[in-house]
Amino acid sequence: MNQTPILHVEGINKRFGAVQALKDVDLSLQSSEIHGLLGGNGAGKTTLMNVVYGLYKPDSGQIFLRGRPVTINSPRDAIAHGIGMVHQHFLQINTYTVTENIVLGTPIPHRPTMDLTQARDKIRALSDRFGLEIDPEAHIEDLPMGARQRVEILKALYRGVDILILDEPTTNLTPQEVDSLFESLKLMVAEGMSVVFITHKLREVMSVCDTISVLREGRRLLTAPRSELSEEEIVRTMVGSEEALEDSMLFSEQRRDEEAGIVREEIVLDVSDMRIADENGVLVDDLSLSVRAGEILGIAGVAGNGQQELAEGILGIRPLSRGRVRIGDRDVTGLGTRQILHLGVAYVPEDRLQDGFLPTASVAQNLILGAQRRTPYSSARGVLNRRAITETAVALIQRFHIRTQGPEDMAATLSGGNIQRMMLARAFAHPVRLLILHNPTSGLDIPSVEFVYDLLLSHKREGTATLLISDDLDELMLLSDRIATLYRGRIVGVLERSAFDKYTIGRMMSGVEAHD
Amino acid sequence: MTTSSFIDFAALVMLAVVPYILASQGTMLAGRTGLFIVSQEGIMLVGASVGFLGAYLFDSLLVGVLLAMLVGGLMGLVLAYFTTTLKLDQFVVGLAVFFLGLGLSSLLFKVVIGVTLQPPIVPTLDAIPIPLLSRIPVLGPILFRQNILVYLSVLLSVALYLLLYKTGMGLALRSVGENPKAADSLGINVTRNRYVTAVIAGMLMALAGAYLPMVYTGTYTEGIVRGRGWLSIALTFFGGWTPHLILLGSFFFAGVEVLALRVQVTSIGIPHQFLRMLPYLATILVMIFAFRGVRPPAFLGQNYDRESRTSS
Ligand SMILES: Nc1ncnc2c1ncn2[C@@H]1O[C@H](COP(=O)(O)OP(=O)(O)OP(=O)(O)O)[C@@H](O)[C@H]1O
Ligand SMILES: [Mg+2]
Repeated sequence: MNQTPILHVEGINKRFGAVQALKDVDLSLQSSEIHGLLGGNGAGKTTLMNVVYGLYKPDSGQIFLRGRPVTINSPRDAIAHGIGMVHQHFLQINTYTVTENIVLGTPIPHRPTMDLTQARDKIRALSDRFGLEIDPEAHIEDLPMGARQRVEILKALYRGVDILILDEPTTNLTPQEVDSLFESLKLMVAEGMSVVFITHKLREVMSVCDTISVLREGRRLLTAPRSELSEEEIVRTMVGSEEALEDSMLFSEQRRDEEAGIVREEIVLDVSDMRIADENGVLVDDLSLSVRAGEILGIAGVAGNGQQELAEGILGIRPLSRGRVRIGDRDVTGLGTRQILHLGVAYVPEDRLQDGFLPTASVAQNLILGAQRRTPYSSARGVLNRRAITETAVALIQRFHIRTQGPEDMAATLSGGNIQRMMLARAFAHPVRLLILHNPTSGLDIPSVEFVYDLLLSHKREGTATLLISDDLDELMLLSDRIATLYRGRIVGVLERSAFDKYTIGRMMSGVEAHD
Repeated sequence: MTTSSFIDFAALVMLAVVPYILASQGTMLAGRTGLFIVSQEGIMLVGASVGFLGAYLFDSLLVGVLLAMLVGGLMGLVLAYFTTTLKLDQFVVGLAVFFLGLGLSSLLFKVVIGVTLQPPIVPTLDAIPIPLLSRIPVLGPILFRQNILVYLSVLLSVALYLLLYKTGMGLALRSVGENPKAADSLGINVTRNRYVTAVIAGMLMALAGAYLPMVYTGTYTEGIVRGRGWLSIALTFFGGWTPHLILLGSFFFAGVEVLALRVQVTSIGIPHQFLRMLPYLATILVMIFAFRGVRPPAFLGQNYDRESRTSS
């Protein structure tokens, strides 16, 4: 390992207000390696990579490329140096097509015909080669998160970079897509590219990375070849203390199985014959399901097969073209979302940035959003009670380990995983009868995932009904009592816990009905 | 209505359409990079004043037009500097520049000309009949016997449409007003795009103002812009922030203007105040019913700060 690293950063410091996001960080990326960058939510991974990409200006420190010191003042400089980045929170123009988003900023013919045929062909070729299926003509705003993730990756590939930074690129991909992405990464690395890969999934790190670095609270604590590291060692470095580690390793399938039996009789959510259609066609059709108190019903399916529409249909965010929704003994079809939420329903949407939070409001305001008209947050006359809000917020920040400067901090300054923690804290803040969760653990670090699983089970024990929509099959199989699989807006089949089988569900996800 | 009075009316509309087109296309262009200008009325007043003074002092309409555009461009530069570089609130800065223009326009006139009973007059813009085309019955005199700025403002609209929707430059420019962080992350220079469009917008608005004394009054008066600047904001929304619909909308706004004037003269019972309200009413109705699909730029009115996580 005596060759000059292709990218080397030295003594990087970066502070945001009172938060020292990076403390004297050194990091070397060798040529033709995949370098895994790990760390808990808010450890500084995104910040470090934003510094390399020219989005953040470090307070001090130096960047070296191929052995030579460089100043990177903007993404434009980074691009000129052959650096590409896939951003954790997609940076895309919603009203543009996929092709337009990908070619944006590259030289396009300025002729009055702006001929994108060539670009489209190149995108198709890339998407074939790397197994990233995409319709180049589609508009971003019509695409599910998974497809938008693929666009973000294609954007970097299209530019043909030497150094590729991937900030949690797999959060919204299916297992097959992850596999094919890894195959492509290996190919590209063999051709001389170097990759920084940020993820929270140990399995991914162990299967694809050559070298692993761990950040904690803004410091780099560890760098070593993968072959010399165990999963346990990595997690221990990320978490810090021994006891926290033990806590976070507690959650086991065995413990989950013990809970499996306790489903109650009472039906909390009952959807019958639901149909949702809009100008894009039929999104949900002929769909009936029910969830009992104390039951976790998993919804499996390839992203974009009606999951979000199902959730939004139940919550009254989208009008139904047919069918009924009952919550408890009340028919809520056609009711407004606020009324439905007030029946004791909590919802964690998939797209946390678009549907989930108010970026310029404070963390405290975000935490009580939806309950703001209720006591103790509002007086009978509708005046907000600041003290009650702050008290609740402080408690939730502590309980959910939200890394923030305080309840008055602007919500947008939180790291990706901490925004997710905030969304979950809000959902679990008040007693609920029905939880509707869509990819609840996306972007969470390992201990937080375990924490959420624990929380789900304790709610289950108390009789909460849960509709768990997830792209993560392992998560569904671990937590659900039953799993229903969606395909093109219809339920293909429902499996009981005893019949869970990855292969069967995988087949159902591609539309093949179960034969039993 | 007889044919000849229709031709009269239509030709007047063609004449009245110019300031609306210029000011709104300028508003639209800056808005496409996220800069929401509200100083139209002020910049147009300065344009009218400087344009008139230049034309009068140098005895040339062209010099007047160029001087007006120069000053308008400077005012655009001021807008860009305070909002994009200093990141001050766009409305506050925009209103300040409006008041600046309001004062500056009269001040300049008084300093140069003084207070007179008989204000000096400049010649008005000549009509330039287009050979052959201007002889077509009915359409000829309406469309092809107009002054140069009528032709230019229509051509400008077409050019803007092509630029924004058919070139890579336009794709980049529009992305700045939709999601500047995404644009920035792809190497597009957000600041430069904003400065360039702000300066061009200022020039177009000043030109819109300079047009008024050179076509209607032959001199500068304090009330000369008569709310056209404010109306052009409504018109920009009416046109969905797109050059082609703004062009269409300009004809509607100009039509109402001419009509209101006629009603005032002939008085047929409808109060002309009512007619002058029509453009606003129409804008609201159109925004409710017709153009739900077209949206203002997503980042309109906001300032971009690379290191702040709120700007995306
Ligand atoms: N633009 C910003 N303004 C204020 N604070 C910021 C900003 N960017 C990052 N931070 C803070 O810096 C710290 C590190 O954030 P960063 O996004 O780098 O974490 P991360 O390791 O990527 O976490 P995650 O796994 O949740 O994505 C956090 O405390 C975050 O709140
Ligand atoms: Mg991050």
